[in-house]
Amino acid sequence: MYLKKILCRHFRNFDELILDLNPNLNIFLGANGQGKTNFLEAIYILAAADSHRTNVNSEMIKWEYNQALVQAILSKRDGKIKLAMRLDSSGRKVELNDNPLSKINEIMGYLNVVLFSPEDLKIVKEGPSHRRNFIDLEISQVSRYYHHLMGKYNHILKQRNNLLKSIQNKNQSSEGDMLSIWDSQLSEIGSKIILKRLEVIDKLKILARLAQRQITKGSEDLKLEYDISLKGFSRKLGEAELKKLFAENLLKNREQEINRGYTVVGPHRDDLILKLNEKELRKYGSQGQQRTAALSLKLAELEFMKSETGEYPVLLLDDVFSELDSSRRETLLKVIADNIQTIITATDEENLSGLRNNSYNIYEVNQGRITERR
Amino acid sequence: MDPYPRPMGKLIGELSKLPGIGPKTARRLSFYILERSKNEVKELADALLEAREKINYCSVCNHLTENDKCSFCSSESRDQSMICVVESPRDIVVMEKTGEYNGLYHVLHGAISPMDGIGPDEIKIRSLIPRLENGVEEVIIATDPNAEGDATAMYLAKLIKPLGVKVTRIAHGVPVGGDLEYADEVTLSKALEGRREL
Repeated sequence: MYLKKILCRHFRNFDELILDLNPNLNIFLGANGQGKTNFLEAIYILAAADSHRTNVNSEMIKWEYNQALVQAILSKRDGKIKLAMRLDSSGRKVELNDNPLSKINEIMGYLNVVLFSPEDLKIVKEGPSHRRNFIDLEISQVSRYYHHLMGKYNHILKQRNNLLKSIQNKNQSSEGDMLSIWDSQLSEIGSKIILKRLEVIDKLKILARLAQRQITKGSEDLKLEYDISLKGFSRKLGEAELKKLFAENLLKNREQEINRGYTVVGPHRDDLILKLNEKELRKYGSQGQQRTAALSLKLAELEFMKSETGEYPVLLLDDVFSELDSSRRETLLKVIADNIQTIITATDEENLSGLRNNSYNIYEVNQGRITERR
Repeated sequence: MDPYPRPMGKLIGELSKLPGIGPKTARRLSFYILERSKNEVKELADALLEAREKINYCSVCNHLTENDKCSFCSSESRDQSMICVVESPRDIVVMEKTGEYNGLYHVLHGAISPMDGIGPDEIKIRSLIPRLENGVEEVIIATDPNAEGDATAMYLAKLIKPLGVKVTRIAHGVPVGGDLEYADEVTLSKALEGRREL
C-alpha cells in the first residue's frame, strides 16, 4: 500500500498542506522545529487513530483555530480509499471514503504504518510498559478485535483497582465476593489477550532474529521471550484453562492486592524479554547492540504486517538515519528498495546519499510549509 | 454587552443543561419559546412541573409511575413468575416494544461501578430479593453489555442462584436482519462466543 496524497488543514503548524507522495521514497528535509515530525504524526493518526506524541487534541490543532483536518488518499491492492480525521476540542471524528464512521477505532486497519523514531530505543532500553505498548499497537493494527479487548481489559482493571482501594480504605474483608465479579471478567478478557500476544510474538521472534542476523552478518543472535506474570503458566493451556489459572492467581494474590490497592498479575504486568547471545539486552547490551535490536524489531514488524495483511505497510523513519552506522543503514536501504513506501525525515542530506538509486521525491520543510524540490 | 436580556440568558442556560442539547440548540429553542403565546408556554411549563411532581418510583419495581405501583406491577395479565432486571426505565420501553415479554420488571437505576463509587447498596438491588419469594421462577438479567452491566449481572446471579431461582442473561450478538458481512468484528466475536447448538 502507499499514500498518494495527503491534506493537512490547521494541523499542528500547517495551514493548508496538500502533497502528492512518491509511491517509493519520500525525503523530508528541514531544520528542527519546522514540522517534519508533525507531518509523520498526521499520517500516524490515520493509521492508529491516536497520536504517538499526545492525547490532547488541542495540541494538534493550529494556534487560534478550532478544528483540524487530516485527509489521505491511500492506494491499496484492491483499490483506492480515502481516510480522514477531523479534530476539535471536543473530540475526533473519522471518515472512510467521505462517510463518517461511528467509532474512532473503526479507522484502524486501512492504513498500516511502521514508525521508527529515536524514541524506539526505549523499547529495548527502558521499562516493560514500552515493550507492552509495542506489542499491543502492533497487534491492534492488524486486529481491531484485539484493540477492543485491550480497551475493555484496561477499563475492567481500572474498576477493579478502584474497588481494591476502597476495600483497603474501609478495611472490610467481606467485600471479597465483590472482587470476584470483576475477577471473572478480567480473567476472561485477559486470557484472550495473553493467547493473542503469544501467537504474535511467536511470529515476530523468528522475523526479528532473522533481521538481527542480517544486519550483524550472523554474529548476533536475538531472542524474544514473552514473560507472563501468571504463576503456573504453560503453553499447553487452552483458553478455558488459562482463564481458570488467571482467576486462581487473582485469588492467591488477593490479600496482597488489597494491601497495595492494585492488581498485581495479568497482561498489564507482562514483559517481552529481549536477549542477545543469551544475555538480557536491556541490562548487558551495548548502545550499538541495542540500536540494532530496535531496528530489527521494526523490520520484523514490517514483515509481520506484510504476512498478516498481504501488503507492506508504509514505513515512517523519523530522524533515524543520522543515528545508524553504515552497515545498519545499508540493511535498511536494502529493505526499502523492496517496494515499500518510505517517508524519511532528516536535517540534512549527508547520510542519505545511498538512497539515490531509488525513485524518490525530496521535500523541503520550512516553518510549516512543505515544498517539493524539482 | 449581553446579546439578549437576562431572563433569556437564564432560559438558555437551563435548556443547555439538558442531555443532547448544546448552546446552539438551546438558543434556538429559547427563541422558539419566546415566539409562542403565553398560554402555550404555560402548558409546557405546567407539563414539566406536573410530570416531575406526580411521577415517582413504583414501590415494587422502581419503574416510573404516578401511583404507588406501576402499570406492570398492578396488572394481573402479566406473568408473575418472571422478572426482567434492567438498568433504567428507558430499557423497559425498548423491551415492551418487542412485544415478546410479558413478565414483570425490576429497575436498578444504575450499575455497579467502583470508579464512580457505586456498589450494590447504591442501586436498587436489595428490594429485588423479597420479590423472589412470591413464586418467581426466572430472573432475566438485561443490564447493558459492558463491564459494569456484566459485573452487575454476575453479582445478581451470585445473589439469586442460592435461592433456587433460575437466572438467565439476555444474549448479545448479530442484529436480526443484519448481514454477517456488515457486523463489526467485535460484535461478531461476541456472537460467536455465545453460540448455541442447533
